[in-house]
Amino acid sequence: MSEIRTLIVDDSSVMRKIIERALRQAGLELMVVHEAGTGAEGLDVLKTQPVDLILSDINMPAMDGLEFLRQIRGQNLAPGVPVVMITTESSEEHVRQAIEAGAQGYIRKPFTAEQVKERVLPLVRAA
Amino acid sequence: MFLNGVREAGQAQERGHGAKEGSRTMVASLRESVQLISDPRNLDDSVEEVFRLMLGVECRRDTTPAAAEKESVTAVVGFGGVLSGACVFRSGASAALKIAAQMTGMEFQELDDTVKDAIGEICNMLAGAWKGKVPELAANCGLSVPAVITGRDYKLHVQAPEFQVHHTYRFENARFEVTIICDGLL
Repeated sequence: MSEIRTLIVDDSSVMRKIIERALRQAGLELMVVHEAGTGAEGLDVLKTQPVDLILSDINMPAMDGLEFLRQIRGQNLAPGVPVVMITTESSEEHVRQAIEAGAQGYIRKPFTAEQVKERVLPLVRAA
Repeated sequence: MFLNGVREAGQAQERGHGAKEGSRTMVASLRESVQLISDPRNLDDSVEEVFRLMLGVECRRDTTPAAAEKESVTAVVGFGGVLSGACVFRSGASAALKIAAQMTGMEFQELDDTVKDAIGEICNMLAGAWKGKVPELAANCGLSVPAVITGRDYKLHVQAPEFQVHHTYRFENARFEVTIICDGLL
């Protein structure tokens, strides 16, 4: 698989590192990993940097992950780039909201590297 | 469009009852389901799941309380919606350092920002896993972002909760406590 550029948005720096580690364990060759602690920081990254994959938490202060996703789609930032939500929220309502906002994948915390592989690899290959 | 891990859940949502009818049923049943919600096994299963998946360790309920240490750390994630209350994680500094090290693969000497971040995230996942055990809570109970307190000689006081589940857990030689506090239930 070719090298990919990733944006990871999570207010926890520890979780950002754990997600990055899980992506590498899944076999992704990460050429660049951008990190953002808020949705607003994530938008700033997308305005200046090309990415191939976006992973975002939902529960974040100031701008939550769903609003971040709506802003991405609304401003046509990163068109065609798959977005995967990684969150503690597991209800069907949250999944429905994520779909409506434009997510292509949903991973519940806590997760295994195998789950990340199953959910993310097909999206990267299809993009 | 490729919907990975999402399509089945979305279809299940469409097959469900209308929101109004479902909400009425949920409110009536939630009040009647205190026994189910406060089942101590929900907390045990949540703790074991989070520690197995995120730290790669087997964690079990323990009857010995966590030993008092000079410095301790407490993380709180609030519940809102049909259930109000909080999930509270508390441990001494040594267990917190061990958990953060296991989570990140790094070594820590003090309760720095990374350790506090790790403990807050553990509490967040415990709260999410616990409410996910009861479908009505998963759908209708929100989580706050974690708050983390470190220090010495402090106590957390909750006034007359509706119910409380408080357990001590152990992995290797590290002990910590997790408490679910419910102070309001629709």
